Amino acid sequence: MPTIHTDPPTLYAERSDWADVTPQAQYENVNPLAPIFYTEEYKDATDYFRAIVKSGEMSERVLELTENIIRQNPAHYTAWQYRYKTLLTIKAPLDVELRLMDELAVKHLKTYQVWHHRRLLLTETRKPVPELAFIARSLKADEKNYHTWSYRQWLLAYFNDDELWDGELEFVERMLKGDIRNNSAWHHRFFIVFQSGTRKGDEDRDEVVRRELAYVKQSISQAPNNASAWNYLRGVLDHSHTPYSTLQLFVQLYTVPHSPGETAVEVIDLENPPPSKDSQLPCPAAIEFLADIYELEGGNGIPKATELWKSLANEHDTIRKKYWEYRIREALQSTGP
Amino acid sequence: MSSESQLLIPLHVSYIKALGDNKDDLAYHMTTHLRMNAIYWGLTALCIMGHKEALDRQETIDFVMSCWDEDAGAFGAHPDHDAHILSTLSAIQILVTHDALDMIDVPRVAKYILSLQQPSGVFAGDSFGETDTRFIYCAVNALSLLGHLSDLDVEKTVSYIRRCKNFDGGFGARIGAESHAAQVFVCVAALAILDKLDEVDQQTLSWWLAERQLPNGGLNGRPEKLEDVCYSFWVLSSLSILNKISWIDSEKLTSFILSAQESENGGIADRPGDMPDVFHTHFGVAGLSLLGYPGLADLDPVYCMPADLIVSKGLRKSWKALERRTE
Repeated sequence: MPTIHTDPPTLYAERSDWADVTPQAQYENVNPLAPIFYTEEYKDATDYFRAIVKSGEMSERVLELTENIIRQNPAHYTAWQYRYKTLLTIKAPLDVELRLMDELAVKHLKTYQVWHHRRLLLTETRKPVPELAFIARSLKADEKNYHTWSYRQWLLAYFNDDELWDGELEFVERMLKGDIRNNSAWHHRFFIVFQSGTRKGDEDRDEVVRRELAYVKQSISQAPNNASAWNYLRGVLDHSHTPYSTLQLFVQLYTVPHSPGETAVEVIDLENPPPSKDSQLPCPAAIEFLADIYELEGGNGIPKATELWKSLANEHDTIRKKYWEYRIREALQSTGP
Repeated sequence: MSSESQLLIPLHVSYIKALGDNKDDLAYHMTTHLRMNAIYWGLTALCIMGHKEALDRQETIDFVMSCWDEDAGAFGAHPDHDAHILSTLSAIQILVTHDALDMIDVPRVAKYILSLQQPSGVFAGDSFGETDTRFIYCAVNALSLLGHLSDLDVEKTVSYIRRCKNFDGGFGARIGAESHAAQVFVCVAALAILDKLDEVDQQTLSWWLAERQLPNGGLNGRPEKLEDVCYSFWVLSSLSILNKISWIDSEKLTSFILSAQESENGGIADRPGDMPDVFHTHFGVAGLSLLGYPGLADLDPVYCMPADLIVSKGLRKSWKALERRTE
């Protein structure tokens, strides 16, 4: 979208410091199929850009020109690339460039180029620590932005610095505290806890698994109808080869409606935190989990699982009726005649 | 915007045709960096709706060729843009659709694509090095259409995809990135072309994909996010490749897609009430085709191109869409 100025913009065609350049108009011969609706300003800037690319000029004023284009059209990938080449060639201060990128990133969070350019700058400056704060600020504007989270994961893995990793668990807990349903945060948690090697203090992997199970159960207790938390739970169990059956007592609490006249539990069972008062029960994900436990049992477990799948198909998760019917058929087939 | 119970084919055809007029439209699909993609989306949607002729064949081919980047040996998105793997794939898909692949220096383009592979097995989008599993799909799809798939180091490519597999069975844009339906599609479709679907945890992933359906019938791209018509393609095609498309409530999804139509000037939006664009028009129509909507041509979900075309090139992989309804 072109920027709206209060004063009319000075076109490059009108500037004396660009008088030495002959602007190159768009292709002359071909009638494009879907012509862009240009503003005068954008046409002027890109005409001068074409001229610069042709002559191979790399200078301060090229930085000004590419910044102009990028502000109008952040997805103009050729402008980004040429800008980067220019920055390196004229040895422009990359810290300054990063500050400019901070501003642009906020406006253009969903543009691939903004993030890739940033990665390129970081591989040059090699100062990743301040990026963590920048990323956290970015996320305030869009907490699930895919590029932002992916950039954070890249930064951590690429530099692989203890100083970077150290504050991550705390960071992700803050994000989850802000929104327990943030799937990106749950994914990031798995990434830092289980996919980044062993951090100092986490050498006891069994303890780490126990801690994570406690955390996810607490989260489920707070907000049971949260797909991310249940996916995380399964992920932890699969990763640690912990049988699903060990969660049976916990899960069962979520498969039944709240009882009328329910009073607060007197003894808090830390292993099996119950559903919060205002949560919607029964929780379909819990029913599904319990059915998986019964199915794994085999034998008498199969009819019990089937009952639960039927309740999902007919009542609790009707949109996935065909999936639940598939589960019933598969289980019957495997038990045989 | 109104809620429709029919696919307004003539309106959508004229909507796509009108992209050739000098019309102020969403920057999203009218900007130059997406131009090649936009033509591919428009053309493919027209083919599925049975109106391939609505965009002039010669003009289309001329446009594609005007985007040839002689330095790189591949295609940019627009005449003054550098070559990129996204626009190169779209260019190839357009030329194949118009039976005009002989216009290009096939070995040279194959060479460009292969040159973008990184030591880790992922592909860059262009010489600037942004990497993403989307580009793996572009490379594999393009090489396959060019008949140069055998030049690819398959194990190297697959090993990268394998490392993108997450705890929930899904795939992200790069190693360590969150599972996202669009990234799932590109990884699954690439594996399908390479005959390596055994890399997928099919049970878990198919279930994760089925979970994308929301009570309103629409599909989202990851848990706790909003529904969007384009996921009708990313999710459906993945399920179709994994032979689990029946797990989606087809009636509800069909209603959702139809309700996102713009009933005055045509086009489909990301969700009901929003402005349409050619991207969502294409993926909405593609989704409906996979759901067996009557009157549409079959779409190959692996290549996202007309199915009969892919069959004629001997490239059909095993996938299953819903039966085409008669009415």
